[in-house]
Amino acid sequence: MKLKKWVAAAGVTSMLFGSALAGCSNGEEKTAGKANEGAKDEKVEVTLAGWGGNPTEQKLLQQTLDEFEKKHPNIKVKYEVISDQYMDVIKTRLVGGEGPDVFYLDAFEAPALIKTGVLEPLDHYVTDDFDINDFEKPLLDAFKGEDGKIYGFPKDYSTLALFYNKKMFQEAGLEVPKTWDELREAAKKLTKGKKVYGFGVAPELARLYYIAESKGGKVVTDNKASFADPKVVEALQPIVDMHLKDKSAAQPSEVGAGWGGEMFGQGKAAMVIEGNWAIPFLKDTFPNLEYGTAEVPTIDGKKATMAYTVAYVMNKQSKKKKAAWELISFLTGKEGMKIWTSKGLALPTRKSVAAELGFDKDELRGPIVAGASYATVWQNGTNLPTITNNFNNQFVSAFLGQRSLADALKEAQETANKEIEGNK
Amino acid sequence: MRKKIWREAGASYLLLSPTLFVLLLFIIGPILFAVFLAFHKVQLLGTATFEFVGLDNFKRIAGDLRAKIALWNTIKYVAIVVPCQTILALVLAATLNAGLKGQKWFRIIYFLPTLTSSAVLTLIFMWMYNENGLINHLLEMFGLPTYNWIGDPKMALNAIMMMNIWSTAPFYMVIYLAALQDIPDSLYEAAELDGANSVQKFWYVTVPYLRPVTSFVVVMGLIGTFQLFDQSYIFSGGSGGPNNSTLTVVLLIYQYAFKTLGTMGYAAALAVALAIIILVATLLQRKFSKEESLY
Repeated sequence: MKLKKWVAAAGVTSMLFGSALAGCSNGEEKTAGKANEGAKDEKVEVTLAGWGGNPTEQKLLQQTLDEFEKKHPNIKVKYEVISDQYMDVIKTRLVGGEGPDVFYLDAFEAPALIKTGVLEPLDHYVTDDFDINDFEKPLLDAFKGEDGKIYGFPKDYSTLALFYNKKMFQEAGLEVPKTWDELREAAKKLTKGKKVYGFGVAPELARLYYIAESKGGKVVTDNKASFADPKVVEALQPIVDMHLKDKSAAQPSEVGAGWGGEMFGQGKAAMVIEGNWAIPFLKDTFPNLEYGTAEVPTIDGKKATMAYTVAYVMNKQSKKKKAAWELISFLTGKEGMKIWTSKGLALPTRKSVAAELGFDKDELRGPIVAGASYATVWQNGTNLPTITNNFNNQFVSAFLGQRSLADALKEAQETANKEIEGNK
Repeated sequence: MRKKIWREAGASYLLLSPTLFVLLLFIIGPILFAVFLAFHKVQLLGTATFEFVGLDNFKRIAGDLRAKIALWNTIKYVAIVVPCQTILALVLAATLNAGLKGQKWFRIIYFLPTLTSSAVLTLIFMWMYNENGLINHLLEMFGLPTYNWIGDPKMALNAIMMMNIWSTAPFYMVIYLAALQDIPDSLYEAAELDGANSVQKFWYVTVPYLRPVTSFVVVMGLIGTFQLFDQSYIFSGGSGGPNNSTLTVVLLIYQYAFKTLGTMGYAAALAVALAIIILVATLLQRKFSKEESLY
C-alpha cells in the first residue's frame, strides 16, 4: 500500500516537473529566436549595469547614452542600476546566465573575476581608431589578465588628495602640510578636544595601502598577505599613534559621521584624505564650507597616493557582443568619455581628454590629477578582497588601542593566509 | 479493489501536487542540493565545476579561526538573548493581562516593534546608537558613561542584542497573552483560598501552566537567534567587524557563499554544521523541559 502511494506521488510529481521544465525550455527557445531575428532587422537591446551615482552623475551618463543611441540608431541601451551589493548581484546573475551585456567592474575585483573566465577579452575588437595608447597605462594594466589580454577599458578614476579646512588652518596660523611629520604636528594643533579632530582617518586597507608600503614593506607577496612585516607595522604605527597618543586623529564613526567627507563637511575634522568623489558631495551638502586640496603629504620625501578605477567590461555569455563592443568603445572612446567626464564628477582616463578638459589646472582637482603619475592602483592579485577583509577587521582593534599593531596584523595575516590556502 | 485504491490515492496526490511541487522545488530540493554542495568544491562562475572532496569542507571548519569566532559570537548571543526575551515576554504578558486600564492600547504599542521590518529597525537603531545619538545623550543626561556603540568591538554585539530583545520580545508576548487567556480562573481562586499573594499566584499557577508555551517560545527563540544575520550584516556593512565582533555563523556563510569566489561548497558545509548545532540545541531543550514537567 505505502509503496504504491509513493509510486503514485513520484509519478505525479515527475509529470509536473517534466511539463514545467518543458514549458521553460520552450519559452527560452522562443525568446532566443526573437533575439536573433532582432539582430538582423530590428533594434538590438544591450543591457548596461552599474551602481547608481548622485543625480548629476546619472544625468551625465544618460546624456552620454543618448548621444550613443543617436549615433547607433539600431542599438538601444537598457541601463540597470544595482544600488547595493553590486558585486554579489553581478556574480549571482552571471552564474544564472542572466548577466548584463556590459557592466562596471572595479579594479579591486577585476583579477578574480577575469580568472573565472566570465569576461570577454576585448583585444580583437580594438581598432586603430580607438587609440589604446591614449589611456593612462597603469589604469589600463589594472584590467589585463594573467594571459596579457585586456578585459576592460577604464571609464574614469580618482586618486586621493589632502582636503583641508581653510578657516581652521587660518585660525591656527598653519601652513598646508607637505610631509607626514608636518601633518602630524598640524593635526595636534588643530584638534579641539573631542569636538574637532585634526585628522579624520579611515582605518581601511584601501586607504592605507600606500602608507603601509611606504617604508619598503609589502602588503601582498605572491598573492598572499604579508602585512605583518615589521616595515609595514613601522609605516602604519604613526596612524595608530595619532589616534591613541596624540588624540589628534579619529575615524568618522567616533564623531557620528558615516565617512570622511561627511566628517570633514561637518567641521569635525580639519583634514581628511579623500578622492574626487568628495568634491561634488561637499558642494551639494556643505556649500558654505571653505576648503582646499593639496597632494597627499610625502613620507620620507617620497610622494605616494592611491588610485581607484572602474572599467566597462563585457559578459562572455552575451549574445550581442558586436553591439556591446560598440557601446564600450563609445563610452570609453574620446567622444563618450568627454561627455561623461565633462563636469569633473569623474576624471578621464584618456590623456587626450584630460588635456582637453584641463582638470590639472582646476583649483580643487589639480592635486588629484597630479597624483595619477605616482599613484598605486588599488589592486593586487586575486586574493586582495580576502586580505583586505582580514586587515580591516583586525586593524581596527589596534587603532582602538585594544592590542598592539604588530599583534593585530600578525593574527590578521595568519587568518587571511589560512583562508587563502583553504580556498585553493 | 486495487483499482479503487489507485484511483483514490491518485486523486488525493493530484490535489496535493501543487503544494508538493512547491515544497520539493523550493524547500526539499535546495536542502538536498546544499548537502550535496557541502561535500564538493564548487566553482559556479565561468564553467561550473563540482569536484568531490569528501569531508574536506568540514575538516576546514575545525581550523578556521573566523568560524570559531563566529560560532562563539552566535552562542554568546543565543545564551543572552533567548532567556532575556523569554522572561521579558512573560512579564510583559502577565502585566498586560492583569486588567490594567487601557491595557489593549499597551498591547498594540508593545507589539508595534515586531511589525517593523528588521532592516528598518536596525537602521533606526544605528542612528540612535550613533556617537552623538539619542542613547548616548540619554546616558550623558544621567551622568553615565557613553560608548561608541557601532565602532567599538566590545560594544557592537551588545548593541545588537539589546535591539533584538526589544524587538522580538513583544512577538512572544502575544503568544503568552493568548496562552494566559486559557488559564482557568478557578485555579487562581483556589490559590487565593489557600492564601497565595499575587507573586505566588504568578509563580505557582501562571508559570507552570505556561510551561508548554514557554518550551515553544524557547525553541523558536533558539532557532531565530542562531540564524542572526540581517542585524549584524547592516551593522557592520557585511564585514562582521569591527574586529570580527559582529561576525555570526550565518554572516560567515553569506561571506563565503557570495563574497569570495569558489567557496560555495565550504559555505554549504558551514550551513549544514549550523543546522546540526540548532538541532542539538533544540533536542537538549526538549529533553530538559520534558523532565521538568514530569513531577
